[in-house]
Amino acid sequence: MLSPKMNLRYSAETVWVVLAAAGAGTVAYASIGDGQVTTGQVMGMPLAAAAPQGPPAVVSTDITWRLNSPAPKVIPESQSNPGAVADKFASRVKSLEKRAAVRAYEGAPPVIPHSIADLNVETCRACHAQGLRAGDKTSKMVSHTYLRNCTQCHVEAESPMLGPDTGPGNSFVGFRPSGYGGTRAGAGAPPVMPHSSFMRTNCVSCHGEFGYDGWKPDHLSRSNCVQCHAPAAEFEQLSPTFGVPDVADGMAATPRR
Amino acid sequence: MLTVDRRTFVKASAMAAATAAAAGTARAFSLAILAEQPEGASLKWQKAPCRFCGTGCHVMVGTENGKVVAIQGDQKAEVNKGLLCVKGYHVGLAMYGKDRLTTPMLRKDGEMVAISWDEAIETIAKRIKANPKGFSFYGSGQWTIPEGYAANKFVKAGLGTNLIDANPRLCMASAVTGFMSTFGVDEPPGVYDDIDQCDVAIMWGNNMAEMHPVLFSRLVDRRARGEKVMIIDMTTRRTRTSDFADEVLFFKPHGDLAIANGIAHLMVKSGKYDKEFVANHCNFRKLGPKPDEKTPPDMLGVQMTFEEFAAAVDVYTPERVEELSGVPAAKIRMLGDLYCNRGIKINSFWCMGFNQHTRGTAINCIVHGIHLMSGHFGKPGDAATSLTGQPSACGTAREVGTLCHMLPGGLAVANPEHRKHAEEHWNLAEGRINPKIGYHAVELFKRFNTPTDQGGDVTTVWVQVTNPGQTLPNLGRNFLKKKDLSDKFLIVSDVYPTATTELADLILPSAMWVEKNGMYGNSERRTHQWFKMVSPPGEARDDAWQVIAVSHKMMELGDNGMKDKDGKWLFQTVDKAGKEVPIWNWENYYDVNVDERLFNEYRLFSRHKHHDLAPYGEYVKTRGMRWPVIEQTDGSWKETRWRFSGFDDPYVAKGKDFQFYHSVTKDDKALIWFRPHEFPPEMPDKDYPFWLCTGRVLEHWHTGTMTRRIPQLHRAMPKAYVEMNKDDASRLGIRNNEVVTVKSRRGAIDLPVWIGGRGDPKIGEVFVPFFDETKLINMVTLDEYDPYSKQPDYKKCAVTVVRKS
Repeated sequence: MLSPKMNLRYSAETVWVVLAAAGAGTVAYASIGDGQVTTGQVMGMPLAAAAPQGPPAVVSTDITWRLNSPAPKVIPESQSNPGAVADKFASRVKSLEKRAAVRAYEGAPPVIPHSIADLNVETCRACHAQGLRAGDKTSKMVSHTYLRNCTQCHVEAESPMLGPDTGPGNSFVGFRPSGYGGTRAGAGAPPVMPHSSFMRTNCVSCHGEFGYDGWKPDHLSRSNCVQCHAPAAEFEQLSPTFGVPDVADGMAATPRR
Repeated sequence: MLTVDRRTFVKASAMAAATAAAAGTARAFSLAILAEQPEGASLKWQKAPCRFCGTGCHVMVGTENGKVVAIQGDQKAEVNKGLLCVKGYHVGLAMYGKDRLTTPMLRKDGEMVAISWDEAIETIAKRIKANPKGFSFYGSGQWTIPEGYAANKFVKAGLGTNLIDANPRLCMASAVTGFMSTFGVDEPPGVYDDIDQCDVAIMWGNNMAEMHPVLFSRLVDRRARGEKVMIIDMTTRRTRTSDFADEVLFFKPHGDLAIANGIAHLMVKSGKYDKEFVANHCNFRKLGPKPDEKTPPDMLGVQMTFEEFAAAVDVYTPERVEELSGVPAAKIRMLGDLYCNRGIKINSFWCMGFNQHTRGTAINCIVHGIHLMSGHFGKPGDAATSLTGQPSACGTAREVGTLCHMLPGGLAVANPEHRKHAEEHWNLAEGRINPKIGYHAVELFKRFNTPTDQGGDVTTVWVQVTNPGQTLPNLGRNFLKKKDLSDKFLIVSDVYPTATTELADLILPSAMWVEKNGMYGNSERRTHQWFKMVSPPGEARDDAWQVIAVSHKMMELGDNGMKDKDGKWLFQTVDKAGKEVPIWNWENYYDVNVDERLFNEYRLFSRHKHHDLAPYGEYVKTRGMRWPVIEQTDGSWKETRWRFSGFDDPYVAKGKDFQFYHSVTKDDKALIWFRPHEFPPEMPDKDYPFWLCTGRVLEHWHTGTMTRRIPQLHRAMPKAYVEMNKDDASRLGIRNNEVVTVKSRRGAIDLPVWIGGRGDPKIGEVFVPFFDETKLINMVTLDEYDPYSKQPDYKKCAVTVVRKS
C-alpha cells in the first residue's frame, strides 16, 4: 500500500503525473518537495522502475497522446545549469546588498550616490524620469513620479564640497529583508509583494528594464502587475491588521522601564 | 548585512539538489518554497509624531526586540499622508548615537563623576530649596506637553515664582505677540488645508522647501496633479525654495516691513480692499506715545482712524518701497494687484525671517493686517500662516504657558482674573501665583552670566531638552561667562553631550521620543499623542519624572510650597482604585499613565481662551486633533479648522460670518496695525561690510545633537560653512572651500567658504548655518531683540569676512 509522503501543495502536479502513467501501466513519479522519490505502487498495482525512453515518433498536444505516452524526461535546471539557480538567488542577494548600502533600513529613501546640482530638482528627472543605463551603471526610473521635491527625502551620500566625514557612531540596525522574496500560495503562484507598495506604484522602477538583477520577471510584457501580486499585510498600513491598535489599552504594550 | 545565513542557503540548495535527484521527472524550482514566513512579520508598528519640526508629520515606528528598526510615513495622518522628509525617515536612528548619556553626573573638582539618581535628585532639591528665588527653569518647544506642564506647575505653583522660560522665546515669541496684538489670542486661525486650496502662495523670508519640506511638497505636488498654484518667493538670498517659485523677489533686510506697507498703500489708493470686511470686522490701530525716551510704547496701542491709516501708508509708494527693500516697483504693483483680487485665494507663509527680527511683532502684525484688509482671511486657501519651528512650541510652550509671563491655557500672569483661575485649578491659596513676571530667555542667561554680587540674581538654572550653549545669541556674553562664576550651578537634562553640557555642573541622562509617553502640538493647533515603545538606555529617565521626583524630595525636606492649600502634594496621582501611586519612584512611574493624569488636569485650563482640548483618551485614537475640540451630542469629539469663521468655529455666534471673540478692543473685531519701516539696529559699515544671516539646512535639526549622529544626515551635510556671493568672493580673492574668518563686534569664527552651493546670497550678504557645534556662529550674532516679544534677531548683523592666510 502506497503511502507516499505527499506534500499536498504539489498534489496537483502529482495527480497529473499519475494520470499520465495510469494508462501505460508503468509509471515513475515523484512527489515534488519532500525530497524523496517513491517508486512503489499506485492504487494497489505494482510499479516497475522508470525506464527513460526516447521521444515518441509523433508529437501531439492531444491529451490522448499524453495518456498513452510516458512523461517526458525533463532535466531540472539545477542539474543542467546548477550555477544559474544559485546565481538567481545570489543575484538577488547581491541586489539587496546594493540596496542596503544606500538605505538606513529597507523602506528608507536611498541616499544619492553621486553629486547633484543642488538648486534645480528638474535635473533629477533627466536620468530618473525614464531610467537609463550608462556602462555598467543604471539609474532607476523613479517609483513615485507624483512627488516633485526630490531633495526633501534624498540627500547626497557624501558632500562633495564639505568632504567625506564618517561622524560619530550610531548603533541603529535597520530592518533588512531576508532575500527569500514573497510567499506563494503554491508552486507557480504569483508571490505576494515582500514590501510596502506605498510610493512604489511604479513597479518597473526596480523590476523593469533598468531594475535590479535577480528581480526582473520573465513577464515584463504584462503591465498590470497588481492584478496578480497582492500587497503584504505586514506593510500595508491600510490593512486592518496593521499596527498596534490605537486604543487606550495601547498602554498595556508600553515597556515598564 | 543580509539575513540569509550561510546555513540556510546551503540547506535550501541541498533541498533543491535532493528534489532534483529524483530519477528524471522532478521539476526543480524549489527556491520558491524558501519564503516560509512573510517578510516583516516580526515587526510591531505604532504611531508617533515625528521628533523634529513644527509640521507635525506622523510616522509609523517599526520595532523589533525592543529596538526601533524601521520607519514609515503614516498614511492615515492628515498632515503628511504617508510622506516624510529625510529627517523624518531617519528619526528612528536619533536614539542610537553611541555617546548617549546614560548616567547622572556631577562635577566634582572639575571632573564629571557618575552619581546615583538619588544623589542627583537630592542635590537639586537642596539647591533649589536653599534659594528658590535664584532658581530658573529653562525649557523647550521640544518638551512634551506633560513635561512642560509639570515644570510650569513646579515653578509657578510649587515655588511661587515665575522664573521659567523656554526656547520658543528664541523662535516663536514674535509670532505670539503678532497674534495677540491682532486677534487678542495666540495661534493661527487657519490650518494646513489652506495649502491645498490656495491659488497663490507667498513665502515671506522663509525657506519652506528645506524647513517645512512636507508642507512644501503638499503645495508643489498639486502641480503634479495639474493644478495651477503660483509661488512667490520673497527672500534675501536664493534657496531651494526659489527653484520652485514663479517669482523670486530679493529684498534687503527689514525690507519686509516696507513691502507689506507698500501692499497696504496700493490697497488704500485703489480702494480695492474688502471694505465690507473691514467695516464689519476690523479696527485700525497704531502705537501710542512712548512713556519715556528709553521705554517703547505698550503693545496695546491706541485707536487709529482709517484716514490716519491711509495717511500713514501714503509714503509707501512702490518707488519708495523699491528704495527701502530693493524689490522693483513693478513687482510691488504685482503684489498689490494680487491682494486686491478678491477672486483668488492667497496663503502667506513665514517663519524665522519674521520672528527672529528686531521688529518681529511689527512685521507679524502688518502682514496679518494686509490679509484682513484685503479679505484674504478665514476661508479655505485665504490665510496668513505662521509656521512653527519646533514640534511643540505651540503645544507646550505657548499653550501650556511655560514662559515667564504666562499660565496654562493662554492665561497671563499679569491678569488678576487669570491668576485666580490658575489658583482654582491648582487648588492653591489665594495670591499664591506671583503677579511679577519672571525673566525672559536672554535676560535669564544674562543674569546667570553676571556675578551674583553685581545683580546676577539667577544662580541656578535647570535646562531641559534644549541647547542654549549653542543657540543663545552673542554666546560670549550670554553663556560662556558662567564658566568663571564658581557659585553658579547649571543642571542639564539631555540625551547627548552638547555645547550646554560642556558647562554643566549636573547632567541628567534623559529618555527621548518613543522611549517615553508623550504629546506634542504642531503649527496648526493639532495636539498629538504617542506611547512609549522602547526602553531608554542605561539609567536615562523621563524629564517629567525628574521634575516630579525633585518636587517630592523638596516636600520631604519640608518645603510646603509643593503642596496645595489642602496639604496635598501638587503631583499626587492615584490609580483606578483611588490608591496613591508613588510616581516619584522610578520603578512605579509607569504603573499608571502619568501623561494622562497631567494632561487631563491641564485641559481644564484650556476652556478659558477657547483652546478646548479633548480628554487624553481621544488623542490616543487619532492622528491628532485641532483645538478647539468640542464634544458632540453623540459623545464624539469634533475638531475645529478655521477659527473665528462662522462656518466652522462653534464659538462664533450663530448668524455671524466672523467673530474675533478675544478682540483686543472687546468689540469682536480684529486689529489692522500700522507699523512703520525701520532700519535694523546694526547695519553693514566700513569696518563690517557684510550682512550675516544664520539659519538651518534640511539635513540638520537645530543644533544637530540628534541629526549629526545619524550617518545619512551627517555625511550629506558634515559641517558648517559660509555662503558667499561669487562676485564678492572674486573681489576679495577668496576661493571656493578656502577657510575665512567671519567676524563681528562680538566674536569671530573660522569657516570654509561655499560658493554656488545650497543657497546663493546677494552681493554684500553671507549666510552661515548654526547646526555645527564646532563652529558656534552664535559667538558672532547680535543679541538685540524685539521690544515686545524679547525675541533676538539672528538674521541680520554686520560682519567682515577675511581670508585666513
